[in-house]
Amino acid sequence: MPESPTEQVTLTIDGVSVTVPKGMNLIEAAKTVGIAVPHFCYHPNLSIAGNCRICLVDIEKMPKNQIACSTRVAPGMVVRTRSEKAVKARQGVMEFLLINHPLDCPICDQAGECVLQDFSYHYGTGRSRFEGEKVHGPKGVDLGPHIVFDAERCIKCTRCIRFCDEVTHSSELGFFNRGDHAIIGTFPGRQLDNAYSGCTADICPVGALTVTEFRFKQRVWFLKRVPTVCSGCARGCNVDLGINENRIYRITPRENPEVNQTWICDEGRLSYEPFQKSERLGGAQAGPTAGPSDGAARPLAPGAAWDEAAAALGEIARKHGGEAVAAVTSGHATVEEQAALKDLMDRLGAEKIALPLHERGEDDALLIRKDKTANALGARLVGGAGARVSDLVPAIASGEIRGLVVLREDPLGEGGEVVAEAFRKLSFLLTLDWRKTRTAAISHLALPVCAYGEMDGSYLNFEGRIQLVRAGLLPFQESDPAWKPLLEIAHRLGGGEVPASAREVFRSLAARRPFLARLDTPAVGKMGVRLDVGTV
Amino acid sequence: MTTRDYQPLLLKNLHRYDSARLSAYEQSGGYLSLARALKELTPEQVVEEVKASGLRGRGGAGFPTGLKWSFMPKGPGPKYLILNADESEPGTFKDRLLLERDPHLVLEGFLIGCYAVGCNQGFVYLRGEFVEAYRILKQAVEEARAKGYVGKNLLGSGFDCEITIYRGAGAYICGEETALLESLEGKRGHPRLKPPFPAQVGLYGKPTTVNNVETMANVPLIIERGGAWYAGIGREKNTGPKLYCLSGHVPKPGVYEFPLGIPLKELIYDHAGGMLRPEHPLKAVIPGGSSVPILRSEQCDVLMDFDSLVAAGTLLGSAGVIVMDDTVCMVDALLNLARFYAHESCGQCTPCREGTGWYVQILERLERGGGKMSDLDLLVDMSDRIQGNTICPLGDAVAMPVRSYVMAFRDEFEYHVTQKKCLTAAAVS
Repeated sequence: MPESPTEQVTLTIDGVSVTVPKGMNLIEAAKTVGIAVPHFCYHPNLSIAGNCRICLVDIEKMPKNQIACSTRVAPGMVVRTRSEKAVKARQGVMEFLLINHPLDCPICDQAGECVLQDFSYHYGTGRSRFEGEKVHGPKGVDLGPHIVFDAERCIKCTRCIRFCDEVTHSSELGFFNRGDHAIIGTFPGRQLDNAYSGCTADICPVGALTVTEFRFKQRVWFLKRVPTVCSGCARGCNVDLGINENRIYRITPRENPEVNQTWICDEGRLSYEPFQKSERLGGAQAGPTAGPSDGAARPLAPGAAWDEAAAALGEIARKHGGEAVAAVTSGHATVEEQAALKDLMDRLGAEKIALPLHERGEDDALLIRKDKTANALGARLVGGAGARVSDLVPAIASGEIRGLVVLREDPLGEGGEVVAEAFRKLSFLLTLDWRKTRTAAISHLALPVCAYGEMDGSYLNFEGRIQLVRAGLLPFQESDPAWKPLLEIAHRLGGGEVPASAREVFRSLAARRPFLARLDTPAVGKMGVRLDVGTV
Repeated sequence: MTTRDYQPLLLKNLHRYDSARLSAYEQSGGYLSLARALKELTPEQVVEEVKASGLRGRGGAGFPTGLKWSFMPKGPGPKYLILNADESEPGTFKDRLLLERDPHLVLEGFLIGCYAVGCNQGFVYLRGEFVEAYRILKQAVEEARAKGYVGKNLLGSGFDCEITIYRGAGAYICGEETALLESLEGKRGHPRLKPPFPAQVGLYGKPTTVNNVETMANVPLIIERGGAWYAGIGREKNTGPKLYCLSGHVPKPGVYEFPLGIPLKELIYDHAGGMLRPEHPLKAVIPGGSSVPILRSEQCDVLMDFDSLVAAGTLLGSAGVIVMDDTVCMVDALLNLARFYAHESCGQCTPCREGTGWYVQILERLERGGGKMSDLDLLVDMSDRIQGNTICPLGDAVAMPVRSYVMAFRDEFEYHVTQKKCLTAAAVS
């Protein structure tokens, strides 16, 4: 038979006939028919180490048990994962792994999502014959800024070492000493400080490596996992928010082979921290009616605020034409929000929409993008962004632009006195933000919008992949997703009814945009869809 | 022919004070086999000759050498032959003798091997502690190079072969061929998963074969006298001369050369001088280095070859014959071995890493008189769970002796539990 990538092999695992592509290992092959072969050291995105030995299976015609991770399927192979020989070996491995393990599950952060715990439950005997003195090792060791190491919990699977060798190519970690005194550590003079160091804790099957920022913060079984997309850069890594009592405690990678495999960068992992540390805008605020100033803010009910905004923007457009109104859209906003702002501008006859860039560093070879916004492509393709803030400033200063809508941006905070000078000349400045920004402070009207994690929506990553972000937190006070106030204002200017959900906004948008035409959010799903953005 | 009349083939040059020098080696016909191989035989013919000889690897596993060579892919591209001179098995000291006293014999065999597998760069992985052997071997390589036996265009044949000596840093595990490859590449000596086998993916990812020192010392003989002649020495499927390392309670410990298949008792009583102290009779023998199952004295009527010892429930291994008289406490002896393996376990895979240390704890407890009867079953059960389930044979190498000591000398272990002292001491005193 000619060799081809699609060549299939049929074998039997636990009496079940399995047909899988040639070259697949037995763990993956068993998985296709719902048979779980336990493994610690095996990781689909790392090289095969074969050291934990828990995946030993009994293969007909082979005298010894074989490790499923490094054994590839062969035609007619008969594999038994539950034969006496396999079970005895597996129980042996479990017992061996636990003899020097501290069994400190009650105070271990990994408890509840610990593979050692789970496999002990499933495959162990529930007892140990070990009565001696455990080997002791260092605990609470800072391997780097984000990783704490407990040598006693470590089962020497070397996933962390292989990650640093094979994924980040930084090789900070090594295996030292021998026998039951073997220990993982950083090489002399090195720190585990690569940009993805947190992933070592994710792939650590036990509680040996923990993320400094999450350590002792929460029992993991209290955390609700909300599948979403990281907002830290234009990659859009798939992540889970770990939420309890309306607070994000951690962000962990969610597997998506086409985006981030099973990794995220440390910056993305900790990207929830600014949302918790910044001062929030809780309700609509109107500045002094005389004009932009730093004067005392006046709280407004949402409906009244929308009426006020519609009246002010409508009047400018009527008196001075649509060109007197402009907007600053954002790569931090969702596609739905960007589309709503564009709809409002269209209703006013306004065309100038600027997009501030947030670039830092360089793109790296793995995930990190220098564009630190999640949805800049959406701002361009959906939000109609075609200008830069610096293009708008002279027109504002000259009085040509009299009305400005700013979505999730702080041009004042970033632009300095020249921008502030110009903005004070605006007849009407509307800001939609989740923070109390400098721009919000001088706005005629500032509307509170949801922060990351508080709203549903979608991002278009740098490759043109549409992905869904999900709400896991309740909106702060009166915050809404920004599409809502924007469309409410548009509605007051003669626009259509305001949709009830982000999904409806997306659907109505998809009906109008060729490159989104066939999509609905369920079709986008948890994994996202790569769009042909070339046909916009 | 009795073994008393046996004329050594591997150790034949050792009577000379200058046996390590090229001049001495050449005077006894040295390097003629290399010349013959290079000039008269194709590499395939060398492999066939070695296959015909029935030579089995002398490192311990007894795998047919010719067959091993034939696994090497043909055709261009780098290929490596490595001389495993990391002799570390407790009770074994034959390779060291060859390296120190007849390095050219080893070198000649190794060069013929390089020619047979198409290797232009051979490596000698030398045990770090072999300081004297290093000096001698280095000198031998230089002498051989000066005479055109090593380097470019060997003896005008057009075949190039460079030899590099690499010194280990002192780990038993680096004698395991894949750990050796890692070490040779400058990495930590961790055994590799097999497959792929070194003949496909070996040193630096290239096809590689690793051969033992004594194995290579047989090769010149096979080329000189022919595979058929060689196959007449010893027994069927267990052919050729063999070096036996006698140690322990014998008056004349040392390296002895006899054909494979010599009776163990003949080796001990006729050659090594019997028991060291006549009042202390033979109790047990480790026939093949510390890693193999032990034989009780009444099991010692065996022939010293690969297949006979397998039939007797043990292994020829490295032919490190450790003789123990009745003063040896088996609990103590096993603890000593277990400590060695716990110290040498590389720490990579679970059963060996955790099991070796656990063995030591249990045996220390038994030795102190704090053990329990269930500990004896535990030792055997642990062995069942370690053996065959590890990456490399080190797991087997500790599980086999532990199981065999406990099973063969259960009475002594039980005495330690019940009486909290040595049966041996009680019997001897």
